[in-house]
Amino acid sequence: MPMDDFLSRALDLAAVKGASYCDVRLVETNQERFVVRNGVVDTLSNDESIGIGVRVLVDGSWGFASTNIITAAEVDRATDLAVEIAKASAKNAVKPVSLGAPVTSKGTYITPIHVDPFTISSEEKLGLLLAADERLGSVKGISARSGNLIFSSEKKTFANSEGAHVEQTIYEAGGGIMATARGQGEVQRRSYPQSMRQQGGAGWDFVSGMDLPGNAERIATEAVELLSADQCPPGATTLIIGASQLGLQIHESCGHAIELDRVLGSEAAYAGTSFLTTDKLNNFQYGSEHVNITADSIRLPGLGSYGWDDEGIPAQSTPVVENGQFVGYLMSRETASGLGLNSNGSMRAAAWNRIPVIRMTNVSIEPGSWTLEDLIADTDEGILMEMNRSWSIDDRRFNFQFGTETGYEIKNGKLGRLLKNCTYTGITPDFWNSCDAVCNEEHWTMWGIPNCGKGQPGQLGHTGHGAAPARFRNIQIGVMK
Amino acid sequence: MMGQAAALALLEKALSYSPAQDTDIYLSAQDLGLSRFAGGAIHQNVAHSNVVLNIRAVTGKRLGRATTNDLSDSGVRKAVEAAHQNALLMPEDPDFEGLPQPVGAPQVNSFDETTAQCNPETRASIVRGVCLQGKEHDLNVSGAFRTGIQENAVVSSRGAKAYHAGTFAGLIINTMSSDSAGWAKGGSWRISDMDIEALGLEAVSKAVDGRKPITVEPGRYPVVLDTYAVDDILEALSLYGMGAQAVQEGRSWMNDLIGQQAMSPTVTEWDDGIDSSGWPVPFDAEGMPRRRVDIIHQGIVNTPVHNSYTAGKEKTTSTGHQAYFTGGPIASNLFMQVGKSSLQDLIGHTEKGIYITRFFYTRLAHSKGCVMTGMTRDGTFLIENGQITRPIKDLRFTQSYVEALAGVEHIGSESKLILNEVGFATKVPALKLSSFNFTGVTV
Repeated sequence: MPMDDFLSRALDLAAVKGASYCDVRLVETNQERFVVRNGVVDTLSNDESIGIGVRVLVDGSWGFASTNIITAAEVDRATDLAVEIAKASAKNAVKPVSLGAPVTSKGTYITPIHVDPFTISSEEKLGLLLAADERLGSVKGISARSGNLIFSSEKKTFANSEGAHVEQTIYEAGGGIMATARGQGEVQRRSYPQSMRQQGGAGWDFVSGMDLPGNAERIATEAVELLSADQCPPGATTLIIGASQLGLQIHESCGHAIELDRVLGSEAAYAGTSFLTTDKLNNFQYGSEHVNITADSIRLPGLGSYGWDDEGIPAQSTPVVENGQFVGYLMSRETASGLGLNSNGSMRAAAWNRIPVIRMTNVSIEPGSWTLEDLIADTDEGILMEMNRSWSIDDRRFNFQFGTETGYEIKNGKLGRLLKNCTYTGITPDFWNSCDAVCNEEHWTMWGIPNCGKGQPGQLGHTGHGAAPARFRNIQIGVMK
Repeated sequence: MMGQAAALALLEKALSYSPAQDTDIYLSAQDLGLSRFAGGAIHQNVAHSNVVLNIRAVTGKRLGRATTNDLSDSGVRKAVEAAHQNALLMPEDPDFEGLPQPVGAPQVNSFDETTAQCNPETRASIVRGVCLQGKEHDLNVSGAFRTGIQENAVVSSRGAKAYHAGTFAGLIINTMSSDSAGWAKGGSWRISDMDIEALGLEAVSKAVDGRKPITVEPGRYPVVLDTYAVDDILEALSLYGMGAQAVQEGRSWMNDLIGQQAMSPTVTEWDDGIDSSGWPVPFDAEGMPRRRVDIIHQGIVNTPVHNSYTAGKEKTTSTGHQAYFTGGPIASNLFMQVGKSSLQDLIGHTEKGIYITRFFYTRLAHSKGCVMTGMTRDGTFLIENGQITRPIKDLRFTQSYVEALAGVEHIGSESKLILNEVGFATKVPALKLSSFNFTGVTV
C-alpha cells in the first residue's frame, strides 16, 4: 500500500468514528551520530525511526495515538484509540476546542542544502573528529576531550481532514568539540563553536566550515589558562554578552516566555507559565528601544526553519519585540483562536509519537549598528562573557542565572585579564531594558539549540536563535557561592 | 505489549542476521498512555507504542552501533548490517575488551496487571477527582497522569538472554492561585500504591497556605527539604558524577573525594536496581545484572557505578549500570537511608529557616562540589521557632550539593518513591540541613 494511503485511511476512519477534525503525520527519520572521546571513537551509530501519529477532535476534545508499525491494521488501531482517548478527554472538558479557519495547505519543502551530509563517507566524518581530538590532546593539562557530529533527515507527510497535504524533508547538521582541564583545585572547560555543538538546518558544508581541528588547540589552551585565571568578582557592572550566550539568553527569557500555551497555563505543571500575560500584548515595555526580536521559521540555517508547521500552517515571520515593546506570541491554531488571532505556524512535534506543541521557531534579536571592537572601546569598565556553561530560569521566566565558560575584564575600553567561573543574574524585563547597544550584522550568527525540553511525554525541540553581542548596564555578576 | 516470547524471538532473529564477530541487541519497548490537564480540563491526551532495537556489532576491538524501530525483515537486516559496517570503520579501541560475558540476571516482579490495563477512561476519572479537589479551593489545577508498560530485553552472541516487563504509573499535580502554588507527585509500578486523594490534598494545602507570600532576603538559611527537593539533589549527584566515566575523565564531583568523609555521617546512599520498593529493572542495556552499589556510606564517598567498558579500564566488573544504549553508566535507582524524624520534627528542630517543597530548573554551575543553581517552587515557607509561619516568594540558590549533604542534621523517617519520566527513580526521605545558600529572589 502506498504510504499516502495510510494517511487517507486514518482520516476516513476518524470521520466515520465521529471525529470533527483529524490530522495524521507519517514521519521517517534517519540520523548519523559520531562521538569521539579522548582519542577513542565512543559512538558511530545509524539510527532510523518510522511511525505514524493520528490526532483527532471528538466532541470538541483532543485524542492522539501513534504506532511504529505501518500496516492497515495498526493504523486502524491507532485511529480507534485516538478517538477513544478523545471521548475520554471530552468528559473532562470545560469548553470545546476551536481551531479557527480551516487549513488547506498543499506542497513540498526540502531544506535547501549545499552538500547532502549522507553523501559524505563516515571515514571522512570520523577523520574530522579524530583530527580535532588529536589537536585537543596536544595541549598539556587537558584531562578530557570530546567531539561530536550529527546529521539527520526527517521526511514528514502531513494531511488533515480539512484538505491539507504537505510533504517535507528537513535536513540538519551539527558538530562541536570540548576540552576539560583539571588542576590547581579547579575544573574548567572550553567548547567550540557552542556548548555541546552548533547545529543548523544545513548540510555537510555547515560542519566542515566550522574548522573544528583549526580551533581545537586554541580552546584547549584556553581551558588550561582558565585554571589559573582570577575568579569573576561579585558586583554590579556593565556586561557585554557574546553572540552564542545571547542566543541562549533569548531562548530562555524571551522564546519560552512568548509561547502562548505557557501563557494560557497548559504547561504550568511542567515547564511553567509566563509573565507575558495576554494583557501585556502591545502594552508592555519588554526591553529598551535597542531590542528588536523576531520569531521566524524561514531564516536558514535556523533549526526552526521549515515549510509548514505540524498543523499545516505556512512558515512565516512574526515581530515579537519592536523597539522594546512586546507585540507578538508564538501560537497554535487553538491558542490563537482563543485570542481572536490566526496561528503563526509554531506547532511542532519532536517525533511521530508526540503531539505538536508550541515551539520556538528562530527567535532572534535583530542586529544593531555597533562593531564589537567599538562597543568594547566604548565601555569604561565591565566584563565580556561568552559561551554558556550553565543556565537556569524560574517557572514564569523572570529570575535567571547564567554561567559562561569565559569572561574578560574590560577596563578603559580595552579587554584585560581572563576571568573564570563567570555568572550573571537578573530579572528578565529589567535586564532587557538595560540593553543600550547591539552589534551589527557582521557579528550576528544563527545559533542552533537541539535539546529544548518541553511537554509530557517529553519532547526535545530544535530551535534557532540569531544573535550578535550586546551590552547591558548595571548587571549583577559573580554569583557562585 | 510484545511479551517475552515475541521479544526474544525478534532478538534471536536479528542476531542471526549479524555477520559480526560478536553482536548484542537491546530491545526497549514502551506502551504509554498519558493525560495532561490544566484549567480543570484534559487538554492533551495521548498514547504511543514503540519498539526500538539497539544493536552493537563487534569486530576485534571495534564496536559499531545502529538503532531501528522498523521491525520488518528488511528493516532489521539493514540495521544489523549498518552496525557491522560501522564497526569495520572504527579505529581500534585498546581499552575495549569485547562484549561482557553474560551473567544471569535475577527475576524481579514489577508488573501489575491493573496498572497495565489502565485505560483513557480510568485516567480521565482520576483526573476529574483531582481537579475537583482544587476547584473546591478556587485553585487552578494542572498536571499529568501516565500509565504504561516498559519491556526490556537483551540477547548477545556471547549467550546473554534477558527479558523484563514492568509497569509504571505516575501522577503530578500542580495547584495555583493568583499568588501561590502547590505540588504533589506520586509514582510506582503499581497504581494502587498511590494514594491519589492524599496527593491532591497535599498539592491543594500548599497552594492554600501559600497565599500572600512575603519576600525574604537572600542569604544563608537552615532548610527543611521535602522529598521532592531531596530527589533533585540525588538526581544531580548522579547525573554529574556517580558514573565511572565522569570520574575517569575528571569531570565528576567525586574526583578527589573517593574514600573521604565528604558528607554527614548520617548520609548513606546506594543504587539498587532489583529492590521492588523502587522502580526495578534487573539488568542494564548490556544485559548485565544491576548490582547494589553503596555509593555514599555514612558520609564517605565510596565508589561510582560501572558499565562493562569503564569497569574494564579499572580491571573490575560491571555493576550493571549502562542504563541507556549510549552514554556512560548512570545510577538510576537511588535510595537514601531514612532517619528517625517526622517531617514535623524536622520543622520543629528549626529555629529560623526555610521549608522547601521542590526545586525547579536546577543546573550545574561548577562540577567541583556539584555546585548547582536553581529556584524553589510550588510551596516555599518561612520557619520560625519550630513552626511554619509565613509563605515566602521563591528564591534562587547557588549551592554545592555535596556541602549541603555535609550539613545534614536530621533525616525523615519515611522515604518516598519519586519516579521520573525517563526511567530514573529515587526513594528519599525529607532532610533538615544546617545551611543553604540563597542568592536571589523572584518578583
